[in-house]
Amino acid sequence: MMIQLENVTREYGDGKLVHALDGVSLTIDRGERVAVMGPSGSGKSTLLNLICGLDEPTSGVIRIDGADIAGLDDDARTRLRREKIGMIFQTFNLLPTLSATENVALPLRLQGLSRRDAETRANSMLGKVGLAGRSSHRPDELSGGERQRVAIARALIFDPPILLADEPTGNLDSHTGEEILTLLDNLHREYNTTVLMVTHNEEAAAYCDRVLRLRDGRVVKEEVVKATRLGG
Amino acid sequence: MFSLLAQITWKQWRVHRLRTLLTLMGIALGVAVFFAVRTANLTLISSLTLTIEKLAGKATLQITGGEAGFPEAVWDTVRDTPGVRVAQPVIEVIANTAFEDEGNLMVVGVDMLGDSELREYQFDEEGTEIADPLIALAQPDSILVSRIFAEKHNLKDGDKLPLFTSQGRKDFIVRGIIKPAGLGEIFGGQIAVMDVFNMQFVFNRGRNFDRIDLMNESDVTVDELQKRLRERLAAGIEVGRPASRGQGIENAVSAMRIGMTVASFVALLVGVFIIFNSFSISVNQRWKEIGILRALGVERPNVQRMFLGESVLMGIIGSALGVVLGFFFAVGAERVMSDIASKIFGYVATQQPPVFRWDYALTAFVVGVVTSLIGAWLPSRAASRLNPIMALHNIETRQRENVLGWTRMLIGAAMVVSGLALIRFAPARVKLDIQYGYSLLMLFGLILLLPKLTEWIARLMRPFFDRLFGSEGLIAVDTMILSPRRTSATVGALMIGLMFVFSMGAYVRSYQQTVSTWMDRMINSDIIISATEMARSRTYHFSEDLSKKVAGIPGVKRIENARIIFVPYADDSIAIVSLETEGWFLRVKDVIEEADSDKARESVIAGEGILAARNFAARYNLGVGDHIRLNTPTEIFDRPIVGIIEDYTSEKGSIFMDRALYKRYWNDSSVDIIEVNLEAGTNANAIKTEIQRVTKGEHRAFIYTNSEYKSWVLNLINGFFVLNYMQMAIAIIVAALGIINSLLISVSERKREIGVLRAIGGLRSQIRRMILLEASAIVIVGVLIGALAGLLNTYFLVRTASIMIGGYTVPFRFPIWIVIASLPFALIIALAAAWWPARKAVNLRVIEALGYE
Ligand SMILES: Nc1ncnc2c1ncn2[C@@H]1O[C@H](COP(=O)(O)OP(=O)(O)O)[C@@H](O)[C@H]1O
Ligand SMILES: [Mg+2]
Repeated sequence: MMIQLENVTREYGDGKLVHALDGVSLTIDRGERVAVMGPSGSGKSTLLNLICGLDEPTSGVIRIDGADIAGLDDDARTRLRREKIGMIFQTFNLLPTLSATENVALPLRLQGLSRRDAETRANSMLGKVGLAGRSSHRPDELSGGERQRVAIARALIFDPPILLADEPTGNLDSHTGEEILTLLDNLHREYNTTVLMVTHNEEAAAYCDRVLRLRDGRVVKEEVVKATRLGG
Repeated sequence: MFSLLAQITWKQWRVHRLRTLLTLMGIALGVAVFFAVRTANLTLISSLTLTIEKLAGKATLQITGGEAGFPEAVWDTVRDTPGVRVAQPVIEVIANTAFEDEGNLMVVGVDMLGDSELREYQFDEEGTEIADPLIALAQPDSILVSRIFAEKHNLKDGDKLPLFTSQGRKDFIVRGIIKPAGLGEIFGGQIAVMDVFNMQFVFNRGRNFDRIDLMNESDVTVDELQKRLRERLAAGIEVGRPASRGQGIENAVSAMRIGMTVASFVALLVGVFIIFNSFSISVNQRWKEIGILRALGVERPNVQRMFLGESVLMGIIGSALGVVLGFFFAVGAERVMSDIASKIFGYVATQQPPVFRWDYALTAFVVGVVTSLIGAWLPSRAASRLNPIMALHNIETRQRENVLGWTRMLIGAAMVVSGLALIRFAPARVKLDIQYGYSLLMLFGLILLLPKLTEWIARLMRPFFDRLFGSEGLIAVDTMILSPRRTSATVGALMIGLMFVFSMGAYVRSYQQTVSTWMDRMINSDIIISATEMARSRTYHFSEDLSKKVAGIPGVKRIENARIIFVPYADDSIAIVSLETEGWFLRVKDVIEEADSDKARESVIAGEGILAARNFAARYNLGVGDHIRLNTPTEIFDRPIVGIIEDYTSEKGSIFMDRALYKRYWNDSSVDIIEVNLEAGTNANAIKTEIQRVTKGEHRAFIYTNSEYKSWVLNLINGFFVLNYMQMAIAIIVAALGIINSLLISVSERKREIGVLRAIGGLRSQIRRMILLEASAIVIVGVLIGALAGLLNTYFLVRTASIMIGGYTVPFRFPIWIVIASLPFALIIALAAAWWPARKAVNLRVIEALGYE
């Protein structure tokens, strides 16, 4: 299995405690695609932050690729992220000063690759997300959908086994959102990445193998989806 | 409305506490320097004046005759003038005691029998066994000392006090101790009183006095008496109220004041940049808030007013801080200034605490607030012009700052070029304020050019940083390029600070080199004996007896006596260098320019003509053939200039004449410097030791070999530049503040970017590197542009200021090594300044940063 949580709890605050996550256990297998759904404030983002090591659980065990990340220090967790986890955000989070290519090349360069190698790979990755002609543009010269494609390219450039997406279509119109989901679907077929995607959108969930429903920090329902698109 | 806006401002300050503090410090430092300079100057003048006033006692008028004094006959004339009630002669000498640890002692010579009418001598009762100390003073070895001095050296009535006089060491007997009030507290109590006629002898004043202090009869006004005296006395003798003599001192030390004022201007200008930076960022950060305010119905002018109001408030608080800080600066500055006043100009200050002047504080306040308003003007205008729809629209990328256009570029370039042209072609006699305008013109031109220059240099650096430092380097440089406003404001602050450092450094270096070369040509006697270890001694000199003694030492071929005094000339003063020219011309060759050298030499030796220093000639637009008229204590001096020479004795200008001629007109046989020329093959050090042996314990003399003397002169010059070094230090501190400010802002502005970098795998160390690299990149750009500005300003200093203030023609040199050497220092300062922002960036909470709107 790729991701495993055992009884994970995350509390916030000192006086009146908020249980952002409350005893969550789950297992996600390699190549599996899981949608996380639930009302606002139910703990979806917290779950993602814990898995990618940006946040630490109050209690419980988190294993990525079999390794417990609880005891790791910041640098080690950052390296883990750098090697195994790609991330996409609702607000794209591209660096405004860098071109599309430079944004995509960034993770490789942070790993120490030379500029030339990193940008060659970045350009071919941009080709895969359908942005071959826009590599030298800066984020503010791109549309929302295009920016998210750049973000996806950046997330997948180092071929991570895990992709975490926090409402990737939340800032896009439904048509563009659909395009992004199709793109992710295609890329999943090529890379067989394990995907954990937070979404409010039932259609988006339909692209996944399984749906987790959260409420008040607990998993209230798990259902297996027959991937409609694949079946259709 | 106002209270609402004020509330919003207050919230901002609290949230961005550190930025607010740094901005306040930016203003405070500028104001502090501005205030300190004026306060220190005033304190210096008043402590110099205080000495004069306390010495004057009840005198209503004083008669002075320049540094060489005037003949005794003047005293008779004064006493015979109707309306004069009391007239008392005075001689003042800063002498040295033969006590081991003791430096200067001011010895005042008065006519003891009559002087108590003018000055109060409050004698200590205890231990005074002599019934009437004034009678005791009729004995020639008597001396009165202040109680402060007596206690310091454990002196009682009847004890010996050894002094170095022009006649060698002499023991005096303490015959009275003066209370530490009035006369007794001058010069920190380092004061003694002696019989004036005895002083004439022991300090080689011939039959001269330095001064006559007098009181008018009650039936004559002071003005009337002054007029009467004026009519009866020779032109070289001045009659004035004691208080007015402070003015003369102020003129003498004016070079210091001007230098310091320029420094305070630099500090204020850097302050403008810091404010500008801070407010630009504030507007950028509050982009959305401004949009909301506008949408809620706050009008454009009110948005602008909100920011301007904020800047006024900053100005007020910063200025208040600055005045307090400046008061402390003033203490230090005054110390340095009075040190220079005594070392270089030979004036004695009675140390005083700095004087707090409300009007200075108020001016400083206004200057601080105006500085703040100027800095905030453009940003606040930008804020008011913000499009509310754009601002409210949730756009992800920050608004791109608009880079200044080509029109501004062209105007900037035109300003720089015309500034240069003015410096090059404008006549030398234009007023100083206007000349500073040329430099300002260049500076403002450069400021207009800054954004583009910064961008170009940064773009050039991009590939280097990319190759050398990888993605962190790239992001660091890009951050600079994409925020031209913030970057150029920081670079601007650096530019001004460094411009100052570079041009001053270059100027000091050129000046030292010039003096060095000049000394190699002019100073070639083997041993030089000076009466003081300072640049000059106004009151203490050798007598010719010492020269004769030295001349008698085997191995000495020839000696020359030299005397240097300052005399009034055309509302200012000039130096007279009197030498034994026959001997001087034997060893100093080819110094006379613009004339037939042989004829000029003959004429000078014969006392028919004089030589003028080039700076003097340039300053007063004189040349060979022009006559110099001077008032002397005897009759009018009038001689033609027969040649021009290069000379660095005084920034006010100097003339050279034969010693015999000088003695005749000024009635003065004192000696300041003895030039000793040795027989060929004699060891200078051996003779030096021999001279030391002869003078030891007898004379206070400073004996230098040729090379020792030259390095001593260079040392003195360095002492004068201490003030400049202080100014440089301030410029650097203010510029460093600018860097910290800018980087902190950079970090808080890019929280989200930093969060993203961390999220996609950036290590903390990589984030730190990025911030440090950004600081380095800013500094490199700042140093390069600062070097350009420094180059231009050096040209200005050399061309204009040096002729006007310094009075010297210094060749234009810009040692590039100053720039290169400064780079590591600048980098260290930048990295130190970046340390705190980098820490902030590293400890950023990623999740929060990512969710940051
Ligand atoms: N840094 C934090 N401090 C305090 N409470 C937090 C913090 N982050 C999240 N929470 C709380 O945890 C709960 C879950 O938040 P989150 O995981 O962001 O929900 P979702 O993404 O499902 O909307 C919410 O009640 C939220 O208020
Ligand atoms: Mg969320």
